[in-house]
Amino acid sequence: MLSQGDQILDQLRQYDVRKNLQRTQSELVGEFADDELAGNMGRAKIDDLQQMTRRHAYTALKIKDDRPRYVPPINFATVESDLYRSGHPQPSNFEFLDTLNLKTIVYIGDKTDNYDYYKWIAGHAGDRTISFRFFKVKPPSTFGTSHMFNDEVALNTVLNLVANRENYPILIHSNKGKHRVGVLVGLIRKFLQGWSLSGTFDEYAKFAREKGEGDLEFIETFKPIIKIDPERKPEFVRCD
Amino acid sequence: MEKKAKLPPKGAILIDQLPNNAIENELRDDTVVVKNPPSLRIVPPINFCPVEKHLYRSGQPSAINHSFLEQLHLKSVIWLATEEPQDTFLRFMEENDINLFCNLGYDSIDSNSWDGLSESSIKQALEIISDKRHYPLLVCCGMGRHRTGTVIGCLRKLQGWNLASVSEEYRRFTGVRGGRILVELLIEAFDVSTIETRKEVAPEWLLR
Repeated sequence: MLSQGDQILDQLRQYDVRKNLQRTQSELVGEFADDELAGNMGRAKIDDLQQMTRRHAYTALKIKDDRPRYVPPINFATVESDLYRSGHPQPSNFEFLDTLNLKTIVYIGDKTDNYDYYKWIAGHAGDRTISFRFFKVKPPSTFGTSHMFNDEVALNTVLNLVANRENYPILIHSNKGKHRVGVLVGLIRKFLQGWSLSGTFDEYAKFAREKGEGDLEFIETFKPIIKIDPERKPEFVRCD
Repeated sequence: MEKKAKLPPKGAILIDQLPNNAIENELRDDTVVVKNPPSLRIVPPINFCPVEKHLYRSGQPSAINHSFLEQLHLKSVIWLATEEPQDTFLRFMEENDINLFCNLGYDSIDSNSWDGLSESSIKQALEIISDKRHYPLLVCCGMGRHRTGTVIGCLRKLQGWNLASVSEEYRRFTGVRGGRILVELLIEAFDVSTIETRKEVAPEWLLR
């Protein structure tokens, strides 16, 4: 058995050999097109070339060393036009976040000591002011038990903010961008867009990659109260 | 002993001192109060996800996804698989006047469905994506994993993303069997300087 790395190199080698062979064959046909001996000579040459390509079969990749311009936050993704989700932004992400022209950032989590981050938000003035909403929310595994009330109010408020297009572009983040944000996006998919639960759960799993204790049950059983102003609702919102 | 709370550094801005102008909807006469999901549910295609404004990715949609796709008001679809799309999907595109881009530059070497995309196919796909006249646009292949992942990965590189984030996004869609190193290699080795973005037709997010 070849290891995976060897398999890849092998595939690349074969690819290169086939490509070389194809190229030399077509060149030869062109070169000897008018020659009576084209057939014979062509064959002899191809044999030589096959030996040559065998000698040159090792592949190394030419990769340009481009420095990336942007580093998005962990678990960053577009939820809908001008609505984004992610984990907690770090200083390396600020340049990227500036390209989104955010108007609102919603943080659902429990950390209050990322002072570099608060300084970056406060540094946007005038037209580029970023409104920051913080909701102290425990990880959703404790939803449905002792934190029920606090969490319901917070989630309803966030859904309410998302339902108003004047707040866009919006970034919603938690710490890892998996569970808390996953539940919130699940509620948006279900109540504001009318996705089937199967599709909602599939999206949750793509970001969480692990079992969320009770998260899916929460999305399924939560009863929100979302106030929607028909004149200010975003394009993607469907309601009866 | 009581644990002393860590004090913020001098002059630091605290989390509750940030601007807070986000608008919450008030209860008015014409307010719609949503307590239940819409009665008719829509089903996203497998591996569906928005990529950027009016740009989406997915696997091959089936008949159950058509009402979902209708909401996107698609203008064009890029089909990256070597096989033809299913008849139902072809009919959906015809009924909705959707422009189909398929068979992007396959040469004889890359025509097996298990091979990766050739560089010329990636380039062609990126040229379509960097033209906003084709939007709203859906990029898809059979399962929406590797071929779609390759093109979106190269697009992210074109946007200037770091490779770790590009590969994180690619692996999100590859399912339990994980990503293919060959696909990530294709993305890593892809030379974005070969793609020309024309300012007058490029989507606004590509110019940032």
